[in-house]
Amino acid sequence: MKKEKLWQSILAEIQLNISQANFNTWFKNTQLVEYNGDNLTIAVPNTFTKEWIKNKHNGTIMEAVESLGEKVDEISYVIKKNKKEKKEVEKEEVKENESQMEFEEFKVDQESNLNPKYTFENFIVGPFNELSHAAAYAVAENPGSVYNPLFIYGKVGLGKTHLLQSIGNEVKKSSKKVKYIPAQKFITGVVNGIRNGKMEEFKSRYKDIDVLIIDDIQFLSGKEKTQEEFFHTFNELYEKNKQIILSSDRPPKSIRALTERLRSRFEGGMIADINFPDLETRLAILKTKAQERKIKIPDEVCEYIAKNIQKNIRELEGALNKLIAHHKLTGKKVTIETTKKVLKNLLESPTKNVSPDQIIKAVTKFYDISESDLKGNSRKKEIVKPRQVVMYLLREELEYSFPFIGKKIGGKDHTTVMYSHKKIKKKLEKEDEDMKEDITLIKQMMLSV
Amino acid sequence: MKLKILQDNLKEGVSITSRIATKSVSLPILKNIHIKTEDSFLCLSSTDLEVAVKWWSLTKTEKEGETTVPLDLFSSFINLLPKEEKVNISSEDNNISVECKDYKTKIKGLDPEDFPIIPTVEEEESITIKTDNFLEGLKQVVDIPSNTKVKPEISGVYFYFSGKTLKLVATDSYRLAEKIIFLDKKVSSEFSFILPQKAAKELLNIFINEDEIDIKFDSNQVLFESTMKETDHPKVQLTSKLIEGEYPNYQAIIPEESNTQILLDKEEFLNKIKAASLFSGKVNEVTLSIKEKEDEVKILSEDNDLGNYETAIKGKTDGEDVDISFNHRFLKDGLSEIKSSEIVLSVNDESSPGKITPVGNDDFLYVVMPIKNN
Repeated sequence: MKKEKLWQSILAEIQLNISQANFNTWFKNTQLVEYNGDNLTIAVPNTFTKEWIKNKHNGTIMEAVESLGEKVDEISYVIKKNKKEKKEVEKEEVKENESQMEFEEFKVDQESNLNPKYTFENFIVGPFNELSHAAAYAVAENPGSVYNPLFIYGKVGLGKTHLLQSIGNEVKKSSKKVKYIPAQKFITGVVNGIRNGKMEEFKSRYKDIDVLIIDDIQFLSGKEKTQEEFFHTFNELYEKNKQIILSSDRPPKSIRALTERLRSRFEGGMIADINFPDLETRLAILKTKAQERKIKIPDEVCEYIAKNIQKNIRELEGALNKLIAHHKLTGKKVTIETTKKVLKNLLESPTKNVSPDQIIKAVTKFYDISESDLKGNSRKKEIVKPRQVVMYLLREELEYSFPFIGKKIGGKDHTTVMYSHKKIKKKLEKEDEDMKEDITLIKQMMLSV
Repeated sequence: MKLKILQDNLKEGVSITSRIATKSVSLPILKNIHIKTEDSFLCLSSTDLEVAVKWWSLTKTEKEGETTVPLDLFSSFINLLPKEEKVNISSEDNNISVECKDYKTKIKGLDPEDFPIIPTVEEEESITIKTDNFLEGLKQVVDIPSNTKVKPEISGVYFYFSGKTLKLVATDSYRLAEKIIFLDKKVSSEFSFILPQKAAKELLNIFINEDEIDIKFDSNQVLFESTMKETDHPKVQLTSKLIEGEYPNYQAIIPEESNTQILLDKEEFLNKIKAASLFSGKVNEVTLSIKEKEDEVKILSEDNDLGNYETAIKGKTDGEDVDISFNHRFLKDGLSEIKSSEIVLSVNDESSPGKITPVGNDDFLYVVMPIKNN
């Protein structure tokens, strides 16, 4: 007899022998989890129920089983929360008020590290991220069998993390084991593992997962020991056809100080990029967000924001939040005039002043060379290129004179500077992707060093 | 059942068990107290199927037996009896007779067979703790857990034992408090559980007069127990189910470093926050504006209908100037649980959590998320 059916028959039998109130209190949410001919295991919601049934109804259950023509020697009890009950309460959401901030960390699922707010449903697709989205979706449908690994790259604030976590959340629905981890955390894990001699424990955490998602993999750059550990984890999962998903702010070939064997593995699956969103998509994003926040924003305001913030979706949302906060505070309608006023600072700030030192620091950090090498006379290829880049940037960003730049970079002749500047400029004009990539990344770094 | 007991003793037992009993439509017996003789002890117990309390007292038992009676009625009656007098209790069928001097009553009860069986804890770990430190620490965090069912793990107080310390942690996802209690003896290994808020609150009432508590627990339940002074028998036991699940990694939200710190007189700060709260409007927002140069923090609040408030407190300040807004209720809650006369407020920026710590004692900390404004 089937488990469910057997339990139903037992319950029917018991119901005849005890009062309705008693029955409802003690047998609600009970379940037969196992029956193998002699042993019967019953799942109960709490210890009170366990004690009660065990002490008062053990005999009744045995009799009921026997009267159904089955036999049982022993009944054991396990405590198990009813899943359905838990799901129902999840729906009721309480909110202090809109502007009170919460500890973001608490929303994250403990086991998978995924934040449930990131889903495919609220990911907005446009021409700039179509390919990545399609690949992500395919992977979520069939983890481990289509594109493995899936490598997604794109600039900050364009939705890489959102896309990655969406895959995770989608796959999790089919009760597969997912783990999302930012690369920095993986590195800390390796470092702590080595320090405390608990490397095995660390490794075992990644052994039996179905989908491993690592965000910002470019941080592995230069971390040799971590790269080695990751290489083994990668292989182990890959061989078992487990899905691996990676993200980075640049393509694998542009990640510095990455061992060749890892690089070739990163390139072995599908590489998809996320570009800057076009105007239409930016508008769509703003409108969706406004709708989520239940606020009406005139079209011309949306257009104004979308036209002025072009390269970062996070900033786009930030602008909208600022506008909403202002609206709530004053209670006034959102108009194009108030928008211009409220967002004035936000939109005017991009022209941050950079110092020549910042440029030099960013370049040396990016290419991982020392400042004295940069300013020295070495003719090695690894040094010459950064030197040319730094000269180019000093000219382009700060409009310094060629002789002045020469003096700054260890007393070079102004013709050397002119030559360097021209060379990099030409490369960029010739659509040299590597060089373009380098320059954009250095420009980002300049602001933060 | 037939026994004799002093009114004072009985009154204590009834008051300890009385808070747990509950009205239940499906199981009416839950509003009753279970009365039972066990050799020379009288045992009173009550439960709501999540928390259960048992209390024992030495008595002169003439005839063994058990019964259950409505707790409300029984306790009201016992409280009216003359002090320091002997109370005679006897039961027949499911009715109980109480006699004390010229007071006489018969109360109708329910079949004790229907009273829930209070589960025993399969002792996996046991720790003894001094009551005064423990309860005082628990009191500092017990009001914080949220009663939301969306995230059950944070609806209780987190107990984390390691080495010679017990950490009590509570949060409602807007603020978090951590209290460290030092133990006399090292625990054998690290362990932790999440105690439902209701049980935690009951601990404060039930064990207030005891010296030491033994804490025992397994994976489903925890038992808090005190022992009688005169004999080696349990006096009060509180059994509670534990909250399932893993407590969030709360360490991650405690800011390790801060850009700005200011040292403030606690009472003055608290009073001025209270004053500011009068003008804080619907969102309870008060803004703190910390200025290093002036060594002070300005406290501002404004409500469109009521008016506004502005004041300042002097305090040694380190770091960058910063403006940050908080819910005044959260600030007050945290400040009023701090024992020291001075506190340090540490903040990073307008959208990162602020931290309040006592001066001269680092066994307590309070982290609170700001209100976002423009």
